[in-house]
Amino acid sequence: MSRHNIVLSVNGKRTSLEVESDRSLLDVIREDLKLTGTKRGCDNGDCGACTVLLNGKPVNSCLVLAVQADGQDVSTIEGVALDDELHPIQEAFIEHGAVQCGFCTPAMIMTAKVLIEETPQPTREEIKKAISGTLCRCTGYVQIIDAIQSCGQSSK
Amino acid sequence: MKKFKYVGVGVNRVDAIGKVTGETKYAGDIKLPGMCYGKILLSAYPRARVLRIDTRSAESLAGVKKIITAKDIQGNNLYGYYIPHRPALVGEGEETRYLGDSIALVVAETYATACKALKLIKVDYEILTPLTSPQAAMAKGAYQVHDGVEGNVACNYELIHGDIKTGFDAAEVMVEQTYCTSRQEQAFLETESGVAFVDESGILHIYSCLQDPYDVVEDIYLALGIPKSKIHVKATPTGGAFGGKLNTTIQVQLAAMAYIAQVPVQLVLDREESFIFHPKRHPDEIRIKIGAGRDGKIHALEAEVISDAGPYAVRTHEVLGLTVSALVGPYSLPNVHLTGQGIYTNNLDSSAFRGFGAPQAGVAREGIVEKLARVLEMDSLFLRQKNFLKSGEETISPVLGDSPVSLDLLKDRILEKMGPFPESTPDTGKRVGRAFGFDMPVFDVSAIPVLCKSGVGIAVELFSDASASVYAGGTELGQGSTTMLAQIVAEELGLQINKVFVEMGDTWTCPRAGRTSASRLTYVLGNALLLATEKIRDTLIQRAAKMLETNKDELIFVDGEIKAKGSSSKGLSLQEIAEVCSNEGLKLREEGWFKFPEDRYMYGHTFMASAADVEVDLITGEIKVLKLVNVHDSGKVINPDLAKGQLYGGSIQALGYALTEDLIVQDGKLMTPSFAEYLIPTAMDMPEEFVADFVETPYPTGPYGAKGLAEHSLNTTTPAILNAICNAVDIDICTIPIKPEYILENIRT
Repeated sequence: MSRHNIVLSVNGKRTSLEVESDRSLLDVIREDLKLTGTKRGCDNGDCGACTVLLNGKPVNSCLVLAVQADGQDVSTIEGVALDDELHPIQEAFIEHGAVQCGFCTPAMIMTAKVLIEETPQPTREEIKKAISGTLCRCTGYVQIIDAIQSCGQSSK
Repeated sequence: MKKFKYVGVGVNRVDAIGKVTGETKYAGDIKLPGMCYGKILLSAYPRARVLRIDTRSAESLAGVKKIITAKDIQGNNLYGYYIPHRPALVGEGEETRYLGDSIALVVAETYATACKALKLIKVDYEILTPLTSPQAAMAKGAYQVHDGVEGNVACNYELIHGDIKTGFDAAEVMVEQTYCTSRQEQAFLETESGVAFVDESGILHIYSCLQDPYDVVEDIYLALGIPKSKIHVKATPTGGAFGGKLNTTIQVQLAAMAYIAQVPVQLVLDREESFIFHPKRHPDEIRIKIGAGRDGKIHALEAEVISDAGPYAVRTHEVLGLTVSALVGPYSLPNVHLTGQGIYTNNLDSSAFRGFGAPQAGVAREGIVEKLARVLEMDSLFLRQKNFLKSGEETISPVLGDSPVSLDLLKDRILEKMGPFPESTPDTGKRVGRAFGFDMPVFDVSAIPVLCKSGVGIAVELFSDASASVYAGGTELGQGSTTMLAQIVAEELGLQINKVFVEMGDTWTCPRAGRTSASRLTYVLGNALLLATEKIRDTLIQRAAKMLETNKDELIFVDGEIKAKGSSSKGLSLQEIAEVCSNEGLKLREEGWFKFPEDRYMYGHTFMASAADVEVDLITGEIKVLKLVNVHDSGKVINPDLAKGQLYGGSIQALGYALTEDLIVQDGKLMTPSFAEYLIPTAMDMPEEFVADFVETPYPTGPYGAKGLAEHSLNTTTPAILNAICNAVDIDICTIPIKPEYILENIRT
């Protein structure tokens, strides 16, 4: 298996790595960068728990080869809070009871962040579509949608 | 009416910050120095004799620390709840019983090496014919999955009340149906995971996601022979469980890896392994028959349940017992004859899953009642109400105790929330149907016999800086027990909630509390906590009385202070008194041991109602849930936001159970081992209108009047959806999940 030198910008920080060609971005984030906030739910692209932003777009990082991310921007949950303050989306998730076991929460937050940036006041239908690629088994989605919608309304 | 600061308030979860920032460490996120990686070689066949296991190539792979087989196990090699008859590892000459049996364990320096080594282990099997249905397993001449168990009958139940023949003789109308419910997968997002290591004193430490740390100690001791005093189990924040992590999952195999290889090990099942390994909801075949008068009064109920227990006992006995008694539901039935059998097979294993047998019963019970309504041409809600249990009435299973019956109240509330029936517009090729479901689900008040005697324990310590720690043996699965306990301590001791730290699920620090299931933690731990905090309050008040030179009966806790009733002068701050007590060596760490006073009542009852409006597309057979309402009477609700979350979450699982979740096992093999094939609901599957509501009838023995609630939301939701479909398109539903193809093939109007 060949090894490659890649450079990722992870949460704004330039990071050099040497990785084998068959490693997924998810693997490299969790094992090499030790950022364990991004979760492995299925390793198959079915559950969305591994969602990160690649150049600002949500992707299933288990389906992206690390080498494919060479030279790109990678945003993970660890980069969402601003200095010592939680991001408004993180606050909203807490306020609205949108967190239960928390395993899908990082993925939901990454997806929500992009949605609010692109669609400042999303409807509930738009929110449902945006998060439909991330499975949640605990919450029944209601309070997650409430949380995201509240961010939309307040970001006027 | 006392106003509470924290109890009954939707306070934020105390563990939320770590979860929204990604800082919370689940078992798969833990990194220990020198940590190695484990993989389990699972059986290639549901039933086979293991002839030979050749580990030589695997052992010689660079980076492999140890390959473990049955011959390396020092203890009994057997474990398992209820009957310890599950092998930790199936050895040469022994037979596998299902695809999730373990043949060998790999411990290697990297995960990639462990996966490579797994492929290098060569196993020679003699493939045998598996028993792939309860019918096949009960047939004459079928092999015994467990030696000596005749007819593969794991357990059987019979519930008799009144005289069934008299009941049917009095009936003017009879309806009968056989329902087949599916094997539902818990589908927790976090797969079975754990880390384990042996420290310098020879103590084995396990950090893993689980629902019963004490049972894990028991199973490790049974299987591996390690003394219990040398086993420490700590529950990690768990990424969902729903009963699938109630019985020991991978912890015995993980313990063997760490103990025998003598290195720290992390074991995380991949999704396909997880689908195979842990037990699912029992698939049941329920033949049910009722006899009623033309006025709608039900005279007789008869049913037979055949339940696929899978290869091991685990909780089949308890689940089947609940299925049988839940067939009665919240109705007053004079003549009842119910039987149930749990049958061993070589399919995937069956055990606990939210609802614990009551969802299966709900499908059959509410289904047959709905069918009766159609035959009688009677409104099905009216029919149900006619047969509702009344307050003070004796129930068949004598556990009603002091739970006030609030079915009429729930009926009124759910009608109000549902509103008028949405008329289907003709010529659109769509039909709308509505249905209701009711139940009186159980929750543990003390149900474990041993804990009836010892009680359920909890420990609380108040520190001199007015912060507190709680040590509770239950586990945080996402349901919010950590928060519930913090709310109670903050309330009782007048603390800021962010000064309360709750540790859960550690067998070393937490008094014995039993399992986290059966919606029991609020009731048992809440009550134990009140006993502990009362002792601390007494200590503080007695000391404060001396300092304030008043009678202790005049003192009250108010906003972080202790002061005399009606006094306008400043009292003593909690911190002041706590410091004084601490400096004087007064006891500020107390245990509370809660024993339910009437040990004949093992369970309490809540009451619940669901209603659904569904739209069926006559051309495609597709089903859309337009509106779903759940109303529960679970006594006092400690945290409304968290409680609603349980109703929403369970209702979506119920929707999946009814419409989308089809775990297909053929010849003992799993045909749907991924989320691409086993479809759990996404946000797009949600009902258009989705309501969760509570009626709060205080429960006399519950903490603040609270009952359990987390497990119940499936019980009536699935049948409400199914029956709504039957009402939309005049169809009989006998098998779940119900697919569009079935609708199109069976539609009558």
